[in-house]
Amino acid sequence: MKLRGNTLVGGTLIGIVLLTAAVAAVWTPYNPLQVNLRARLKPPSDLYWLGTDEFGRDVLSRIMAGAGTSVLVALLTVTFAVVVGVILGVVAGYVRGWTDRILMAINDALLAFPGILLALGVMVVVGANKYGIVLALGLAYAPSVVRVVRGTVLSVREREYVEASRMIGNGEIYSMVRHVMPNCIAPIAVLSTSMFGWVLLSESALSFLGLGVPPPAPTWGNMLAASRPYMETATWLGIAPGLCIAFTLLGINLLGDSLRDRLDPRMAHA
Amino acid sequence: MLSYILRRLAFTIPTLLLVAIAVFTLVRLIPGDPVQLMLGDAADPAQVTEMRRALGLEEPLPVQFALWLGKVAVGDLGKSISNGLPVLPLMIERFQVSGLIVLLAVFFAALIAVPAGLLAAWRQNQPLDLAIVAGATMLLSIPTFWLGLLLLLLFGLKLGWLPVVGYVPFSENFGQALLYIVLPIVTLTMVEIGVMTRMSRAAAIDVLRLDYVTHARAKGLPERRVLMRHVLPNAFAPTWTLIGLILGHLLGGIAVLETVFTLPGLGRLLVDSIFARDYPVVQGCLLFTALIYVLVNLVVDLCYPLFDPRVQAE
Amino acid sequence: MPRRHALVAGIALGLTLAGLSPVDAQTGTIRLRLKNDIRSTDPGTNRDGGTDGVVQHMVEGLVAFREDTSVGPLLAERYDVSEDGKTYTFTLRPDIRFHNGAPLTAGDVVWSWRRYLDTATQWRCLPEFTGGLVKVDSIVARDDRTVVFTFDRPSALILATMARVDCGGSAITHRDSVGPDGKWRDPIGTGPFKMGEWRRGQYIELVRFDQYASRSEPRDGYTGAKKVMVDKARFLVIPDAAAAKAALVSGASDIDHDIEPEDFAELKARPSLKFETTTTMSMSTIIFQTRDKVMQDVRIRRALALALDTHEITDAVTAGTAKANNSVIPVSSPYYTKVQAAGYTRDLAAARKLLADAGYNGQPIKMLANKRFKSSFDVAVLAQAAAQQIGLKIDVEVLDWATQLDRYTKGDYQVQSFPYSARLDPALSYEMVTGPKATQPRKVWDNPEVEAILRQSMQIADRDKRQALFDTLHKRQIEELPLIMIYNEVQIAAMRKTLDGYKGWPTGQPRLWGVTLN
Repeated sequence: MKLRGNTLVGGTLIGIVLLTAAVAAVWTPYNPLQVNLRARLKPPSDLYWLGTDEFGRDVLSRIMAGAGTSVLVALLTVTFAVVVGVILGVVAGYVRGWTDRILMAINDALLAFPGILLALGVMVVVGANKYGIVLALGLAYAPSVVRVVRGTVLSVREREYVEASRMIGNGEIYSMVRHVMPNCIAPIAVLSTSMFGWVLLSESALSFLGLGVPPPAPTWGNMLAASRPYMETATWLGIAPGLCIAFTLLGINLLGDSLRDRLDPRMAHA
Repeated sequence: MLSYILRRLAFTIPTLLLVAIAVFTLVRLIPGDPVQLMLGDAADPAQVTEMRRALGLEEPLPVQFALWLGKVAVGDLGKSISNGLPVLPLMIERFQVSGLIVLLAVFFAALIAVPAGLLAAWRQNQPLDLAIVAGATMLLSIPTFWLGLLLLLLFGLKLGWLPVVGYVPFSENFGQALLYIVLPIVTLTMVEIGVMTRMSRAAAIDVLRLDYVTHARAKGLPERRVLMRHVLPNAFAPTWTLIGLILGHLLGGIAVLETVFTLPGLGRLLVDSIFARDYPVVQGCLLFTALIYVLVNLVVDLCYPLFDPRVQAE
Repeated sequence: MPRRHALVAGIALGLTLAGLSPVDAQTGTIRLRLKNDIRSTDPGTNRDGGTDGVVQHMVEGLVAFREDTSVGPLLAERYDVSEDGKTYTFTLRPDIRFHNGAPLTAGDVVWSWRRYLDTATQWRCLPEFTGGLVKVDSIVARDDRTVVFTFDRPSALILATMARVDCGGSAITHRDSVGPDGKWRDPIGTGPFKMGEWRRGQYIELVRFDQYASRSEPRDGYTGAKKVMVDKARFLVIPDAAAAKAALVSGASDIDHDIEPEDFAELKARPSLKFETTTTMSMSTIIFQTRDKVMQDVRIRRALALALDTHEITDAVTAGTAKANNSVIPVSSPYYTKVQAAGYTRDLAAARKLLADAGYNGQPIKMLANKRFKSSFDVAVLAQAAAQQIGLKIDVEVLDWATQLDRYTKGDYQVQSFPYSARLDPALSYEMVTGPKATQPRKVWDNPEVEAILRQSMQIADRDKRQALFDTLHKRQIEELPLIMIYNEVQIAAMRKTLDGYKGWPTGQPRLWGVTLN
């Protein structure tokens, strides 16, 4: 089965990230917060494998320390968005009528809201910490999930087998769980893995626009944003977190695909 | 059909009202004050109060809201606190820039991403698929500002083919305008290709498994015909929903791109106004983007049956 | 060199006068980068630093700051102060014209000042002239060229306040600058440039004013000769630093008068560019809320001060361009002497002991910073790292500028890394930080004795006596530690080598007169 290969690669990549995060919790080559003004913007060397940043902090140590925070923030955000989004989306798409209209009115209002204002507002309430970001981004992404799920539900519920299920007297909730949910898995898997990437990056976009996680604590996103002024003179600053984000995403995507294939009932006999 | 459209339009009103209330409250909940920003580190308390009074910011919030809503109802969005300009014409001018870029970028992205996704799905788990997935993932993991700057440095500085800053409206000089707008569109297209490819690939994989595709193949239809006639239209449906989402969302999220390329667009106007606590402009922009968003999605929903014949527009 | 200079300038001028420059539509326009669009063209009202810089190219006041931050006459030929220091008589220079061709008269001065003193104008400096500094009793045009101001009390700072850049230099404008409805239209001033086109969010373009009556002295701050050697000045709005850098290197802009220190090293490698650095009077500080239950203990504040190596921090944050300064009095001020140069020296052992004495037991302290002024963030990170070495736990919280400013204005914080804008007189610098928190929560130094000394320094004009007062203030500032002053910002201007004659000065504002493009 070719699928195995993808699962293996994806699993390995994610495994590395998680392992790094675990190791960083107990040990990093240097203290990731240790400023050393005599070793600023040093290129990679045998002392600093990935070089140092504009404050002379070791990039490798920061990448390692950032793994945990970045992945945790992304994971929490995506979970929040998906759980909230799926519930509301299925309800809206299946029940239709007034519930649908009200839910969609709120949903559209949220969707039309730019993330940055939401982020500013939420961070005032929750504080400018990682949970503030999770809540802000989660709220920003959940409506997209609602829309996609609702769209799928609308299209699936008309299919013959769902009609048939209803016709032979199965309850609405049963039909929903049995037939509609599995069909949502594919788009959700794709959307949530994409979202995982967006979260890792939105954080750097927020930093770029002047907001974000309290920056001395490293995350890949804010490392990437902070490296921009040195794009030409100290390229290593951006490449390291950029590649980490890319490989994590690739891993998540591959895993997400195989997860989907496993959960999708129609795959059983494929 | 017409009554459906009218009904949908009627339902946009509560959405817009919700946005209006939310924006109005949120923007005032955020600490900071336009007058303080104007006076900076030398703000004399009495002077702050006086200037806030002149701007109508000392009234109780419900009164401010009612006054504002009353004016909005007759099409008056007020004036910017930052520079005294009326909000509506300002927004429309800025929207022309953002709208054009977003529309073109999403169009080009779909043009590339949908076939790419289909191709990947068709060759699922084979090298071509892996290459396309990896490529899309790479695009997904590059931040807009990074990619934008890279292109700017390459084509603007190193090669000197394109101008690095500024904007010329199409009405003034078509050729010039094109030069200024190429890089932002390319950047945005590349970013969007990442998401869309993955979405259309997933949808196509789903469709490829359906019985009627198997039937079509069994009937001996050539593979190309199966893909074009049966898979593409059906796989396009979920992507189409996504396009609606992206179009709506991008208007708010395009600020980063406009900052990198120094474009006077709506996104930058919004972000600048949030940072300047320019309440009338923030409120106006959000109401406007909400309206655009709702309209775009109405169009998307209306077109949905075209791609997915199983759904009827009620 | 100066002779070649003059020759080139002469040729350039000759060419433009002869109208031979259409080929050089490019070189006739100097393009300077602005970080944000300007807010309005109304001097001293709806404004910010960038707005002031543009508007001061078009309008002028009676007096203006010189390069050395003293005040000199601008539209005035001279001014006379009465014995009691309450009456100022300004004599206008003859032959000055507004951009619309009308001659400048004493009546215009009276009209402009009446407008400023009207609350509806919302002049930023109104509080200063309605009792804050002094109260204006009357402004009378004695004849066409003479205006007499009478104030309720004497003050050493009347002229300096009139000249304040953020007050719009109290510019005199023609009454047609305002429409019949009383609303500001376009500035009809007396400056060397007049209003051209303003494309919101993109650029504002000024055009040389050919009938400008220049002073004869050499260029000196905002006064002295203002010879314009270009046809137009275009202020390009480029918010993003990286885009601005690209614009400068590619030649889409000619000068960026305020680049980020971190870009300095990279741009220096470009052969097409040259640089000018100027020490401004803006301050980079760490301010304390002395009413906070942790920070009210001066020993904790001193511990932090002793943990910092301000020289090293300054070097790192400003790419080695600025000089550390622990005094509120700017290094470039004539009042900055040996006394002011005495500040804090790093002493970790003493710092640790102070913390122990204060009974500090690791409770985290929140330091606010922002990224709009990048030095604020950099200083915060470095201070946090330094504090860690003595066991003082600081959490940096990054806010958007408006939020931080709100917290500052309300006094709602423990510690902030805060940028203060430039004040050109030491008394004004101290005034910015000193005052009663009860009525003005933004003030960081609440001490009636200090206020009394400050008030004295505002009233007397004698230099030596003022110096003595400022010395006392400095010593008390180091002692009482309401804030840690770290350095005065250095402005790095980067420009293309084709541009000649640009010079920075302590206000940090750009000046495009006396500048040639080859």
